[in-house]
Amino acid sequence: MKRFGESVKIAFQSLAANKLRAFLTMLGIIIGVGAVVAMMSIGYGAQDSIISTVQDIGSNVIIVTPGNREEQNQQGFEMMLGEDKDKESLKIDDVKEIEKNATMITGAAPAILNSSVISYLNKSTIATIYASDEKAEGIYNFKVESGRFYSSSDVKNASNVALIGQTVINKIFGKIDPLGKVIKIDGKNFTVIGTIESKGSDQFGNDQDNSLTLPITTAQQKLYGIDYINMIIAQSTTEENIVKASDEIEKILRKARNLRPDEKNDFTVQNQTQLVNMLGTITSIFTITISSIAGIALLVGGIGIMNIMLVSVTERTREIGIRKAVGAKNKDILFQFLTESVVLSITGGIMGIVFAVLVSIILNRFTILSPSISSFPIILALTFSTVVGLFFGIYPAMRAARLNPIEALRYE
Amino acid sequence: MAINHYNKIEKPEPDESCNCIINITGITKVYRLGKVEVVALRGIDLKIMKGEFISIMGPSGSGKSTLMNILGCLDIPDRGTYLLEDTDVSKLNDNQLADIRNKKIGFVFQTFNLLSRSNAASNVELPLIYSKRSTGKNRKERIFESLDSVGLIGWEKHKPSELSGGQRQRVAIARALVNDPAIILADEPTGNLDSVTGEEIMAIFQDLNSQGKTILIVTHELDIAKHTRRIVYLRDGRIFNEEKIENQINARHMLATMPKLEDKVKASIK
Repeated sequence: MKRFGESVKIAFQSLAANKLRAFLTMLGIIIGVGAVVAMMSIGYGAQDSIISTVQDIGSNVIIVTPGNREEQNQQGFEMMLGEDKDKESLKIDDVKEIEKNATMITGAAPAILNSSVISYLNKSTIATIYASDEKAEGIYNFKVESGRFYSSSDVKNASNVALIGQTVINKIFGKIDPLGKVIKIDGKNFTVIGTIESKGSDQFGNDQDNSLTLPITTAQQKLYGIDYINMIIAQSTTEENIVKASDEIEKILRKARNLRPDEKNDFTVQNQTQLVNMLGTITSIFTITISSIAGIALLVGGIGIMNIMLVSVTERTREIGIRKAVGAKNKDILFQFLTESVVLSITGGIMGIVFAVLVSIILNRFTILSPSISSFPIILALTFSTVVGLFFGIYPAMRAARLNPIEALRYE
Repeated sequence: MAINHYNKIEKPEPDESCNCIINITGITKVYRLGKVEVVALRGIDLKIMKGEFISIMGPSGSGKSTLMNILGCLDIPDRGTYLLEDTDVSKLNDNQLADIRNKKIGFVFQTFNLLSRSNAASNVELPLIYSKRSTGKNRKERIFESLDSVGLIGWEKHKPSELSGGQRQRVAIARALVNDPAIILADEPTGNLDSVTGEEIMAIFQDLNSQGKTILIVTHELDIAKHTRRIVYLRDGRIFNEEKIENQINARHMLATMPKLEDKVKASIK
């Protein structure tokens, strides 16, 4: 242990003698480790926020979208070229059909998602429109901050009423109380009947507060002139029967559309579990990709360490000779140089971790990403940099240890 | 065989009753440079008693360095036996040789061979790092004693680049002393020094010898060799003459007649 402390001391002394060189050598490791830790933290952060979003919405949400997702995935190329033939297949009647026949859901709401220009007096902004019906308050998890949600009669009558999110309020109203004011959406007058509580950003970084909700009938008839809807959101009675509820909805819709058994669905039923799995897959692909790149950076860093250690052994041939002359054994020299390369790589690793933590803090503060630093990537990074130091240090250290003391002492 | 041609092989006769530090018999060393064999030593017999002050002289190519390397356990002979304080060194492996170098040999080189990044105290400490026997407080005491015996107290924190040549060589001597070795081997210790500084170094060696240290110096300067008590002349890998010096040059007396150069150097550094 004492010998070990001595070696670490010697290692730091010799690294300190060539600070710039040591730093440049460590840079590969710093970047590699920094990238691994930062990227894994971002990945974990994304996963965390997905999970919390799901928990926010409730994990018993079922989403019905038009068109067949699986088919679309297979025919992605066609999709890119042509118009989606089933895009307009989902109607409000489908929602009614589901509500009438389904036994395992608490409710279903239609939704149209779009973006429109919102203006009040001389200020305007572009915001996301979530058009739905009165059930959206519960299903969509809109929390009314002040005023009221639109009622079933608002939906029935296609009233020109809207509830606006916090970002929209900030942008066009500032300090003015928006309740009861008349705003323009795509040039048409709407009365603000309520405001929505702040939700923050979703897992993709979209500002969920830059939004506005209004009755779906109004959106269809007065804003966009369409008769279809973008999706149906339903809630299963419990989390456990979400799969059964999804199947039930599928059957109801197939029946309503008179699809023959050999015909494929022209709609897609998804639940949160599937979504989470999908997002999880995306996140892990992202993490694996970045980690491989970072692994290559570590490899390159390791080669840098090996290179500089070989130079160092040559430069310090005489020192090795002196040490051997006064009684250093081969293993002492081996240990000394191995310690030096490991110290180099671990120091690089620690600096990389510090770098990653700083990057995470900055990302957290200034961007929508919220990386979460956990112990796993840090332990992984330290282990990896130790292994890199050992692996790439062993050959130069062996060369040093094998030097003949007489020749080493004579080396100029 | 080339070796046989040059060498009359004597059977090694380890003398158990001999009260000597070093007892070598029939030491032979051949270097192979490609296809050419260079015979460096052709059967050397030498006994060095405890407390002796001996010098080995000879022109370059005489085998001085090879003998020095073998005596210093940096190299092993092809033939012959080498008893160092009753240990047969010629049969040891690398690790055991390193241990012997650490505990029984103190080296002083012509070019000082100090670690440039370490200060005087750390340089003196070096052999202690590789020996298991001294730790902690004991270590500091040993370093202090060694530096004290070469008159370098107060210079512990100076790096070699901040010391004069003479001071550097004194650090090297302190390093050689720190493990209390059986013998100090000095290879041209004054070769890189001016005459006054060289004389100072010889004064230190004479002081150490008078305290009972066994010292061997390799040199090609007769003036330096005459500071010792016995000169062994080497030529073509053989000992061809030995001489007892009755009236050694006393370095302290010599210094008294010389200008104090090092004092000037010291002053300019301070």
